Formats: sequence, C-alpha cells, structure tokens
Amino acid sequence: MGADSEEKRVGVFICHCGLNIAAVVDVKKVAEWVRKLPHVVFVRENIYTCSETGQAQIYQDIKEHKLNRVVVASCSPRMHEPTFQKVLEKAGLNPFLFEMANIREQCSWVHGHDKESATLKAFDLIRASVSKVVRDEPVEKIRQEVKKEALVIGGGVAGMNAALLLANAGIKTHLVEKNPSIGGHMAMLDKTFPTLDCSICILGPKMVEVGKHPNINLITYAEVIDVEGEVGNFRVKVRKKPRYVDVDKCVACGDCAEKCPVKLPDEFNRGMTIRKAIYIQLPQAVPAAYLIEEEHCLRLKTLKKGGKEVCGLCLKACERDAINFDDKEEIIELNVGAVIIATGFEIYDPSQEPKYGYRRFPNVVTQLDFERILNADGPTKGELRRPSDNKPIKRIAFIQCVGSRNEREKGAGRYCSRVCCMITAKQAFMIKEHEPDVEVYVYYIDMRTAGKGFEEFYQRGRKEGITFLRGKPGKIEEDPETHNLILVAEDMDTGVLLKNEVDMVVLATGLRPPQGLVELAQKFHLSRSEDGFLMEAHPKLRPAETPIDGVYLAGCVQFPKDIPDSVAQAGNAAANALGLLSKDYIEMTPLHPVIDLEKCIGCGLCEINCPYKAIRVVKTEKGKKAEVIEIACKGCGVCGASCPEGAIEMKYYSDKGIEAMIDALLEKKEVEV
Amino acid sequence: MANKSWKPSIIGFMCNWCSYAGADLAGTSRIQYSPEIRIIRVLCSGRVDPKWIIKAFLKGADGVIVLGCHFGDCHYITGNYQAEKKIKATQEILEMAGLEKERLYLDWVSAAEGMRFAKLVDQFTDKIRKLGPLKLDDEKRKKLTAALLTVSNDKVRWVVGREFSIIKDGNAFGEKLVPYEFHEQIKSIIKDNLKKSLIMAVLKSGPKTVREIASDLREPESEILKQLVDLMRLDKVEMGGVKDRNPLFALKGE
Repeated sequence: MGADSEEKRVGVFICHCGLNIAAVVDVKKVAEWVRKLPHVVFVRENIYTCSETGQAQIYQDIKEHKLNRVVVASCSPRMHEPTFQKVLEKAGLNPFLFEMANIREQCSWVHGHDKESATLKAFDLIRASVSKVVRDEPVEKIRQEVKKEALVIGGGVAGMNAALLLANAGIKTHLVEKNPSIGGHMAMLDKTFPTLDCSICILGPKMVEVGKHPNINLITYAEVIDVEGEVGNFRVKVRKKPRYVDVDKCVACGDCAEKCPVKLPDEFNRGMTIRKAIYIQLPQAVPAAYLIEEEHCLRLKTLKKGGKEVCGLCLKACERDAINFDDKEEIIELNVGAVIIATGFEIYDPSQEPKYGYRRFPNVVTQLDFERILNADGPTKGELRRPSDNKPIKRIAFIQCVGSRNEREKGAGRYCSRVCCMITAKQAFMIKEHEPDVEVYVYYIDMRTAGKGFEEFYQRGRKEGITFLRGKPGKIEEDPETHNLILVAEDMDTGVLLKNEVDMVVLATGLRPPQGLVELAQKFHLSRSEDGFLMEAHPKLRPAETPIDGVYLAGCVQFPKDIPDSVAQAGNAAANALGLLSKDYIEMTPLHPVIDLEKCIGCGLCEINCPYKAIRVVKTEKGKKAEVIEIACKGCGVCGASCPEGAIEMKYYSDKGIEAMIDALLEKKEVEV
Repeated sequence: MANKSWKPSIIGFMCNWCSYAGADLAGTSRIQYSPEIRIIRVLCSGRVDPKWIIKAFLKGADGVIVLGCHFGDCHYITGNYQAEKKIKATQEILEMAGLEKERLYLDWVSAAEGMRFAKLVDQFTDKIRKLGPLKLDDEKRKKLTAALLTVSNDKVRWVVGREFSIIKDGNAFGEKLVPYEFHEQIKSIIKDNLKKSLIMAVLKSGPKTVREIASDLREPESEILKQLVDLMRLDKVEMGGVKDRNPLFALKGE
C-alpha cells in the first residue's frame, strides 16, 4: 500500500459540526469545489463527523468506494486526529494516510465576521490537505515496553492520594517530596471547611499509610533534577539531600534539638516560633525523623570551610546513635512508565503590596499564618492571641481577594483563587467558636461559596454574628502605640465610609504557582497556562492529563482548588496512570527521519543538532553515514530542516508533503464565489 | 499600491505544541482575526526549512509567518533556538538580495496565548497589506531564485545549522566565539554565496558575458569575474562560446 504506482483514491469528509462550522462556512459550496480536485473520488458532508454514525460512515465509505486516503475537514487535529486514525486502522488503512483540515478552530470560529473569506479559506485548507495526503506514506508502528512503576512528584494531599491509589493497585510507586516530611499545605491547616474536620487528624493516618506502604518508595528532602525518555519509559534522576540523621534509627525523641544551640524561625509555624538547626518539620512528620539543616548547623558550616569538628552537642545527646555527619547527597535513578505531578501551590506574598503592611505591621497576618495561630501546635497553642504583644484578640478583620481578582496583576493574580472565601468563613467561624465575644469583620468583593455544603456553612457563619462588609479597605494603617490597625473602607451596600480599629487583620491571600515549576515543566516539556500553573490536555475532558503522554496532573499544580477537588483529580490522574501501566507495551509511531544514504556525506550536523541524541554518524562500507535511533527520536525534524545535502526526509511531515501544501495554498483560485 | 480587492496571501508555519495550540485556543475563545493566513502545521518551528519559505514566495506568497514556542518552552528542547537562527539567516538573505525581509516574520506564542496569536497574525497581515503585493516580476523572480540557491547551498546550510551549537558549546577547538562576530562571519559566507547564486540565476536565461552579468546585477566586472572563476572551480559554470570577442559563460550542463 501507499506505493507511487497505486491509484490514489481520496475521500474527503466535510463536517458541519452542527452549526459551529456550517453557520459560517458554506459547506455545500466547499464540497462542490472539493469534488473537482484531482484524486478526490468521494466527498461526504456530515453534521457531526466525530459521532458514532459519522465514524461508521467513514469506515463504510472506505470499503465501498475503495478509498486509500482520507481527509477529514472539521475541528483541530489536536482534538480528533486519533479518533479518525483509529477508524482508518479499523478499515485496514495506515493511520498516516490521513489528513485533517482545521476548518473550525482556525476558520469558522475565528472568521465569523467574514463568511466569504472563511468559505474560501476552508476550501484552501482542504485542498492543501488533499495535496498532502496523496504524498503521505504509511508509517509503521514500533513497540515500547511499559515499565510498570510510577513516579509521583509532590507529597501533599493530592500526591499522597495518587501514590496510595497506585500502590494499592499493586504498582511500585516512588513519591518524591522536596520537604523533609510529606503532608504539604494541608498538614499546616487547623481545620478543613465546611465540615470542620481536624486537618492533621484526617491527613495524619494517610501520611502514615504512605510511609509504611510496601509499594511506596518515599523519597523526601529530594528533587527531580533530570528527565529523559518518554511514555512507558521515563528515566528520572532525583537528588536526595543529606539529612545527617539516620531515618531508621531516629525515634524523634527530640533530645538532640533540645541541646542544639542554633535558633531559627520555624517555617512550619510560619516563622512565629523558633526551631533548631536539627529539627523535625512537624510533630506528625513522615518519615518521623529529625534532620540537620546544612546551611545553619555550626559543625557542618565549619567543616565545609575546612575547619574543625566543633559543637557536636546533638551527637552527644542522641542515645540511638542516629546522627551521622558524614551523610552525603544521593542521586537516585528511577525508571518509570508514568509520572504524576502534584507539586501544589504557593501562597501569594502580600508584602509585594505595601498598602497591606504585611511584614511591617506585626498584627497583619495571612490566612495560612492564622491557621497556625488557631492550631494547638501553633505559636499560641491555639489561643486567640495576636503576634505583637500576645494579647487576646477582641476585634479582628479579614480582607478578601488579596492577590486575587486584581486586574493590575498578571496571570494567577487576576482571577478568583477559589478557596480563600471559604477559608475566611471557616476561620471566622472558628474564632466565634473559640471566643464568641470577639467581633469579626469580613471585607469582601463577592463571597464565593460554590461547593457541597459551602453556602450553608457561610450562612451559618452570618447567623453566628460575623459581620460581612462589601468593600475593600484601600490601605491599612497602624497605631504605633497600641499596634492596633485602622481600616477605612466604603461599605458598597450603604455608601458610607467606615473607619474600623481592630486588633488584628487576616489577609485572604490568593494561590500562586510554586517556585521551581517553570524548571520542572521544562524538564517534562509541559506547557503552562497563562497563570503559570501547568496546562491540562483538555480543560473539560482531560483535566488530569497533559499533552505529554504518560504525564498526569493532580491538585493545585493545575489550578487553585480545594481539598476534595485535589483528591478527586489525584484519583483521575492515578486511574489514567493505571490504564497505561496495565499494558505490557504500547504502540508508538515515531515520525522519524529517513536518511538517503546516496546523498548523505556523514558531515554530522544532524548529530550535533539533535536534541535527543537520536541520530549519529557511523562508519559504513560507503564511508561515514548518519543513522537514526528510532526509539529515541521524537520527530521534531530539526535535522531535516538543516541537512546541508538535503539527505534527510521526515516521515509524515515530509518536504514533498509540506511543499505540496504550500503550492496548493498559493494556487490561483479557480472557483466562482 | 494595493488595490482594494487585493487580499494578501500569507503562509503560516505553526508548531504543533505551542503556536498551533495557541491558534486553536484563539478558536475556542472565538477571538476574531484576519482570515488571509493559511496555516501549515509542523511538529516544531525548527522543522521549517528555509527552502520552503523561499519557495512559498516564488509561488506567490506575500508574507510568511513562523511561530514557535517561547525560549525554554520548546517541546523539543532547542528546536526554537534552531528556528531562530534559520529564519534570521533567511531574512538576511532576503535583505541582501534586495527583497523586503519584513515579509518573513518569526515570533513565539505559547499554547495559552490565543489572544497573542490573533494579535500577531493581525499585525503581520496589516504589515503585508501596507507593503502591498510581492508582484513577482522577472527581477524579483531572479532574486528569489538566487535566494533559493543560497538557502539550498550546503556550505550555507552547514554554517547556519552550526551557529546555535557553536555559540553554545564552542567550536571544534573548544573556543567560545563571540556571537556577534561569529554571526558576521556567517553573513559574509552567505553574502559571497548569494552573489554566486545571483550570477547563476542570471545565467539561467542563457550564456552571458562578464559585462552583461555585471550590468544586470549592478556589480563591478572584477567582482563578477572573481565569482565566475570560483563557480568554474566549483564545477557550476563553464565557458560557453564567444560573443563580440568576449567569452560567454554558461551554467554547466545547460
């Protein structure tokens, strides 16, 4: 099949896509013109080509009209190319004897104001596709073995759930977490909305389960540094930082930290308490072990500078002999079939906007800071006291949409972060529960409480006496004597300018992509959306998949979402990964280059420029010649576009195919409009 | 110049992962833009061969726009860097041949930038409308033929293809080269090659004397003679008789 001598019989299927195409493009007219094109032996219009009947129709027409090439003019090939390729395969045709003309996304939907031009353009696009399809040649499949292990990056609630699902299904799963313990942001929360579950009480058992699971290889205090390979066979390098404490020996008694002389702000309590250079991230940490922070430990710092073995108080304090100053960084090489990315988010830093006084005024805190204040393990042991003087709080204000829904911002700052309204509702409710007499004010633009049980919870808060004010304070001022905060805002409902003096202000901060996401995305060749979070394969139908086969998304790394949504997406990602890992091998069609050995002079430019080392020059009987390593090739075509001798032709995206498209697109129109 | 009924012919090369997806996003977001562009999908902007671009102009395109992924975002790691070198060189070749390099445009659009895609296409279409039709007369055809010969030349393709790696990793001796200086060297190689290509384009219409070629190309006779000697050594040109006691030069094998 596909031989030049064979008669080319092209069938063209033009889709109305309901009215999506047909309302703009005159499909009937286009079909008439297409019928006159060389090699076109059959044209059919469909209302919905992608429907079951539409697909069956193509199958039948291939058989009935002995078609050996097919063009579908409909939506983007990024949407339905695989759908139609499967139909061709079923009908016994090679799936690469197929072209799609994108007359929806790149025609009817964008030229609705100019139907005539859109109709002409649709015809041009189809004509180009016909011109290419007669020059297309079959591409044969190769098999790729699927490595039945998975990697989950990020050990927050999403990553943990994904890892547990995979591990419970019998898949060996590696979970890489950058912090010393898994748990993520959820471990820092006091309660969860709207059910007011104790956050660590529901998360803790999951963390333990992850830590003990025989199928989970937990790699904490580590990061992904290098990625190679493709779906079914990713080779990932992970750098594991030294902990200087033997995780197996440590029982987390804390004797070492008691003796350690180095005091540092405790990140887990958002800097409101202190920790030592030898520390445990949180009391419920998994692995339940201390670690020494290299940058701050006196001994490690001195040793690094070539000095003596100083201090060593922890070494003496540890009865279990768990401390090991000779610990070294480790590079772990993993070979996995699927990857789930669940690296979460970062909260917006409101000190970027001086008007809020965050970090300048001690009594202005973020929601995450306030979670710790509410928490029994926090700086105030759960009592409602403010940071400046530890006095009980009597009046408190929340300001919504800090770093969200701000038109002056770019990306993630422009939209609603989805969780902050409900966090405020929860925190305000918790205040009322702790101390019913505390006056609580919430300054908001809109309260957004869409979600199961959310509205009911918010209304309950209103009944508890929380004051909701529509209006955002322009700025926060501090009384330098009392450290009280003064807010001035216009109540949008009454138009009255309100001045309010409170003990403390909580900023409802938006969510941002985490640091390092850009680099991680580049390692996996993933796209990011305009907000900087990772882009899904399809916003509606493939929310947990990425355009890269075998790489999936879970949790806030895709978009801000609450805990149940993160867990749900983790399930989706894990199910997708399982679908892939349940196969022994997958079939791939590498669109690799073909070398014309007569023309090739073995200059090696292709080898130098190939991003995947998938082409190399080898010695043959006819001298030095280029050779393609098919499995490593991704088909970009950089080699073909620069070969000095014109000796490289790409499969499918061939010179003759593309040049035929150029010719067809520029051919003088012989049609009457 | 441009009459009202004239609509520019614009060919767009979009990479599958970023700009083509950005164009799709413009579609799903119903962002309206000028309908003249005809998009050809390639897997990577680095796949776009300069030969295609010149051939498109020779076939009557008024403008060619290439859009790839932003630097650092390329699905194929370095494909867009390669594209930048090739397209830039092609623009320079157009300019050296006396054509408007503005008719070839390169930029970057991510899969999330539907709005940006539409804006760039509108801007480019406007620019081409202002420049007017390419109007392929004999003079332009000759220049484009020379440009095609130049982008097809093995030496030119080698140096342009090597620019990115040499600047990144240094040359065979491990020496780092100053990007600007190295690019100037490449330009001089291109320029030299284009001159030869122009002579070959002139000789396509039959054997000519040095004086005829020089007056056609508005170059000094000494320069033409020098290039002809080179071309004869490269086995591309041969003596083809005598006219008024002056030797005629012809393309070899024609």
